[in-house]
Amino acid sequence: MPHLTDLHRTASFLLRDPHEAEDLIQETYLEAWKSFHRFELGTNCRAWLFKIMFHRLHHVRRRLLKTSRVITIDAPEGQDELAAEPAVPQEIRDEDMLNALEKVAVEFREIVLLADVEEFSYKEIAETLKIPVGTVMSRLSRGRKLLRQQLAEVARSYGINPRTKKAGAAETA
Amino acid sequence: MNNLSFDSKRCDRIRQQLDSYLSNELLVETASEVVGHLESCESCSRDLESRMRLRDALQRAVANRPSPDSLRADVLRKLREFQPRSFARVSLKRWCLGFASVAVVLASLFAAQWFNLRRGEQLIASILKLGVADHLICAIKGHNYPELANPPDQIREKLGPRYAPLLQVVQQRLPGFEVLEGHVCSIPGSDRKFVHFITRGQGTVLSVILTERNGASLPAGKFLASAESAGLSIYEDHLNGMEIAGFESGQYFAFVVSDLSQHEIVELARGLAPALNEKLHTIALLLTPNANDWLAKSVSLHILRETNQCNKKRRCEVQERQQDG
Repeated sequence: MPHLTDLHRTASFLLRDPHEAEDLIQETYLEAWKSFHRFELGTNCRAWLFKIMFHRLHHVRRRLLKTSRVITIDAPEGQDELAAEPAVPQEIRDEDMLNALEKVAVEFREIVLLADVEEFSYKEIAETLKIPVGTVMSRLSRGRKLLRQQLAEVARSYGINPRTKKAGAAETA
Repeated sequence: MNNLSFDSKRCDRIRQQLDSYLSNELLVETASEVVGHLESCESCSRDLESRMRLRDALQRAVANRPSPDSLRADVLRKLREFQPRSFARVSLKRWCLGFASVAVVLASLFAAQWFNLRRGEQLIASILKLGVADHLICAIKGHNYPELANPPDQIREKLGPRYAPLLQVVQQRLPGFEVLEGHVCSIPGSDRKFVHFITRGQGTVLSVILTERNGASLPAGKFLASAESAGLSIYEDHLNGMEIAGFESGQYFAFVVSDLSQHEIVELARGLAPALNEKLHTIALLLTPNANDWLAKSVSLHILRETNQCNKKRRCEVQERQQDG
């Protein structure tokens, strides 16, 4: 079954409940099976499947919002307006990375996943999420920055003082 | 100071491009500019390296999260669950389409059959009318029979050698009826001749009439027949106050006409038909050589007359409607 793992890992980071994620994947493949006649041979099957998944995800989110089972985490105000670029720790554990990722607001998280993990182009992401390319660029930039900030927070909680821009500048001097 | 300010602005501009550079979304010229700056700016290089480390760590962390082992099986199960419902849905559509097609075909067949039956009923009535007319004109109105039965020899003589053998059949096959008269005659204004046996029994007068078919036929099939006897279909009708049963035998139509009940007439015709049919098959001569198409013309005229009456009635209705309007 093509791209099953790719789809599931993205879905699992966008829906908190693992069962919801699995349901989403099942519905995605069912939808793909039903509308396979619409798939144009020679086009990107993986992008097509992601497009279907995000279309279904939109409905799932609406349903979950109605039943108040989803918690969206908004980026703390002013976080992205920090002048200094938060440094990334030298050693990043998977667990810390995933914790940091989960704390990034979902509208940024999904674009970071599509761009940095699934390596879709801006155009493909724009088509998948049905948003302009400019929005993809701005959300990706902000999402990456939020992720760095979350990682810096994690590092600080461990008592590690990650290298800051200031420190880096001092070293350079 | 000016130099530092210039470098800082350039670094800011390059760092704004780093996200797109990292995603390989920059134009070649812009990418070259970024690369050129990175070669000379350690701070921006560190920033890029930091971003790349972050991306690599993210990819690794996400890739290391395992998917459930049952995921593939669950998806396949979901697809299989849908397939029967899908099949049923498609099948239902096909069944509906099939039923609709069959219904249309059946309706067409029914309509065609109904039309054929109506035409058959008209044809039967037009043929049986001949026997009723012969009975009424010759036997009832004309009273061409004696109160005491004519001797058989006299009747045979009137019938002629061709039809004389039929007398015995009528005598034997109509129990309770006495043959009063037998002759070959024609009604006024018609050149059609018919063999006419006038009998009496059960308190009434009954005619057995034989006339040549001249190409006309009663409807094929047994849908419109009232009874059957030795493979002969017997048709019955009530016309002008008389019950008549008729059947086709060789080149002849045979009629049994009286004012008895429908059941009695049919039963008498059933008893008479086999023997009469056998005897008629031995008679090959024609009664009226110049009347080959008489019956066909008669039937056509009857139908045409009824059609004209219908058309006239319709025209009247239209005129009335127009006047009302």
